[in-house]
Amino acid sequence: MPIFALQRSYKYMMYATKQPSLRINQADLKCKNGCGYYGNADWDGYCSKCYRNHMDQERQRKARQTHSDQAKHQVSGFSKFEEKKRQQTDKKNKYLKSLPVFRKTSNVKDSGRPERHLDLRQANPDADKLMAEFISLYGIWGEMVRKDFFKCVQSFTTKIYSELDNKPIEDIAEMAQKYYNLYNNRVNSTQTYQEVTTEVREELLDFFEKYVMVSLYSWLFCPPSTNDEEKDLIIQERIRKLSWVNAHHLDCCISETSIEVRDLVYTAITDLLGMDSMKAPQEKLSCVVRCCRSVVEVLQHCQGGPVSADEFLPALIFIVLKANPARLKSNILYVTRFCNDTRLMQGEAGYYFTNLCCAVSFIENLTAESLNMPQQEFEAYMSGEITSVSAWESALVACEGMHQLCEHLALLKGLSDRTNSVQENTKTLTEDILKLKEEITEKVTAVLERTPLIIKPRKTPEDLKIEASTQVAAIKIEVDESQTQNNFYLQNLQIGQNNLDETKTKLQLDITPCISEDKVKASQSIEFLSPAFDAQSLDGLTPDDQNSLSLSKINYDIDFSDLSGENSVAELTPEKRKSPSYTPDPFSPIGSSCTITQVPLVPSQVEPKPKDDFVLPFLEDNAKKEETLIDKKEDNAITNLPSPIKPMTSQYSGFSKQGWQIPSIPCITGDFVSTNASQSSSQQSSSQDN
Amino acid sequence: MANNSGGIHNFKVVLLGEGCVGKTSLVLRYVEDKFNSNHVTTVQASFLNKKLNIEGKRINLAIWDTAGQEKFHALGPIYYRSSNGAVLVYDITDEDSFQKVKSWVKELRKILGADICLVIAGNKTDLEKNRHVSLEEAETYSSKVGAIHFQTSAKLNKGVEEMFLTLTQKMLETVQEKEAQNAPLSRQNSQRRNVVVVDDDQVPPAPTKQCCGNS
Repeated sequence: MPIFALQRSYKYMMYATKQPSLRINQADLKCKNGCGYYGNADWDGYCSKCYRNHMDQERQRKARQTHSDQAKHQVSGFSKFEEKKRQQTDKKNKYLKSLPVFRKTSNVKDSGRPERHLDLRQANPDADKLMAEFISLYGIWGEMVRKDFFKCVQSFTTKIYSELDNKPIEDIAEMAQKYYNLYNNRVNSTQTYQEVTTEVREELLDFFEKYVMVSLYSWLFCPPSTNDEEKDLIIQERIRKLSWVNAHHLDCCISETSIEVRDLVYTAITDLLGMDSMKAPQEKLSCVVRCCRSVVEVLQHCQGGPVSADEFLPALIFIVLKANPARLKSNILYVTRFCNDTRLMQGEAGYYFTNLCCAVSFIENLTAESLNMPQQEFEAYMSGEITSVSAWESALVACEGMHQLCEHLALLKGLSDRTNSVQENTKTLTEDILKLKEEITEKVTAVLERTPLIIKPRKTPEDLKIEASTQVAAIKIEVDESQTQNNFYLQNLQIGQNNLDETKTKLQLDITPCISEDKVKASQSIEFLSPAFDAQSLDGLTPDDQNSLSLSKINYDIDFSDLSGENSVAELTPEKRKSPSYTPDPFSPIGSSCTITQVPLVPSQVEPKPKDDFVLPFLEDNAKKEETLIDKKEDNAITNLPSPIKPMTSQYSGFSKQGWQIPSIPCITGDFVSTNASQSSSQQSSSQDN
Repeated sequence: MANNSGGIHNFKVVLLGEGCVGKTSLVLRYVEDKFNSNHVTTVQASFLNKKLNIEGKRINLAIWDTAGQEKFHALGPIYYRSSNGAVLVYDITDEDSFQKVKSWVKELRKILGADICLVIAGNKTDLEKNRHVSLEEAETYSSKVGAIHFQTSAKLNKGVEEMFLTLTQKMLETVQEKEAQNAPLSRQNSQRRNVVVVDDDQVPPAPTKQCCGNS
């Protein structure tokens, strides 16, 4: 099978790159014999075929040599076998064991043989365990399957065992592969396994491999005929020398202080170390897979995102360097030789195992160049002139206290970082608060500037005026009535006079809460009434006064107007009449009460203009309204109110439609509320201003 | 290793190329159809499986990513041994990466001969304005060494699917040719196998069909 042989030769080529060159020259790969096939360092640079010939020749040559030489050769072989057993318990004695002191001089070929046979027949605890497992797992498939399985196992083990001394390990590996194929065919084609499902067939193949390998482990793992053990020692020594290499040298981003990462790294290392304690090749392989998965997790923690080979390989190299697994080379070779090829060549396990081989190969050929450092520095590191102390050193080598110290330091650093960030946040928050404060102040001043608070005279709700005008008519009638009833009043003069003082005080008290309304009404009514009143009051004099006072008991407005009218009439001047409300009698109780609120509200420019008496109060109101903030909107109402005074139009804002609508509400109390509300709002704004 | 168990072809495809040419992005685009690595669900992008069905044949592609750093170049043979196909990726804006591809081709042809199907992929065509490797040069070289040239952009998802599909078809042809050649030699073996996997074994008629197609 030339193709198969060629494939196997590639398989072993992974260890061919011993020389520290980065590239492989064709000459390095070709067989030493010049047959055209590729060679392999494991086969002394021959291809598999030439190596076999070469080995045969060697064997024949050796056979021709003296008996003592032959014996010695065998002895050294056996001593290695002995070593292996001890090696498992104490690694450090390895060096001593290769010394001639430990070699036995007697002919062990005869004594060794039966011993091994005994081993095979002896109860192998692992094999026994597996047998029990087999029966429990696959017993349901019948006696035939079980018998056939153990028949195949038996034939396999006997065959391999008998060939163990005659053939190099590579040939035995080939035999094993052939047996795997044979059993595969058997499971898939013979009647015995017909009832077995496809999955179970696969499992059976797996189990077959496991069983035979566990049974033959002690002879097949690190066989005495090979130099596997020396390779183990070489790689172990190499890794020990390279202990100074850290993640930084390998350009891989493993953060050394993170506890999570460290735990994952420990897991990976443990898995890799666990490989040596497993016996079946697939178990060793699964250890590698577990290790590599941990490595992937480490990288995920450190960088995030999917892990590519560019990052994975350096990390794996790092793990191998830190783990320095026992008998690494032997394990790898064992898996390569005796693991079912189909499994090794495909799937995740195959990929990870290949990566492990790459990592080992890289470590073997590691140079200063591959670590991106000058040759001198590399040599200084290798000879121990420079020693580096990294976090890993302290974690892996130094005591637990050191480890904890590192962790605590990292923790403290994190805490101080957090404190700093909290402080920074506090600072920014304070700044924000100050800024907000300033902003608010700015805005408030801006608003204040834009809309300065001017205390304006309280406006008269429209309805009141209408009411007033309607009332005017009523009052006129009433006045007429009162005139006609003068006699009646005169009769009651006594009572009225008695009540005069009372009424006045009452008025004073009553005016205060509804001052504006009363005042306006008063002023309006005065004007409207005045023509009628003038004559009357002038003529009627005191009785009139009395009348009005008594009237006040009946109608508040009338009483009020009457009173003020009386007052104004008393010191009658035409000017006064034009703007009667501006200059109320300071001595009159009403006048004095009015003055307190009224005087500052009077727009001065209105006064000197000669106006019609009837328009003036409206004008006055409008002028006031124009200035008040609330009524600014009511501009379009100008047409509603024909104003004869042209100069005022610019200032005149008029009544809005709404303004006209409000008076249609007949409820007087509601109007009171509205005026009160406007009053209170103006009071509020003034208080805010203060 | 092209295993044909139960009618399923297992192909191993290895991704080779200098670092930062977009090997991982290509395979992630192909397998996950994602470009931004933040959205990718797979934990690791170094080993990915893709199941295909070409002409009724079930194919399982095992795509192996390799470390592109120069210091790992010597490890190449370990990666690409027994692979059926190789995707050699270069960056069209980087002349050096193309030279690297040439060296890979030489090495692969030397060691694996004609067994391996080669595809050369000029990646990052979205950066056309920075092109440093001319298309003609790349195509002439590819045809000279018996490789198929593709222009791809993992970012824009251009040419990726086609590239892997063509490679798979080529690998299938190679395997079937080989099977046809080996059929007389290992008749006993294959006959015995055929008895069992008769229900889902679609391969035996396929090689003959392929032979007719080829002739």
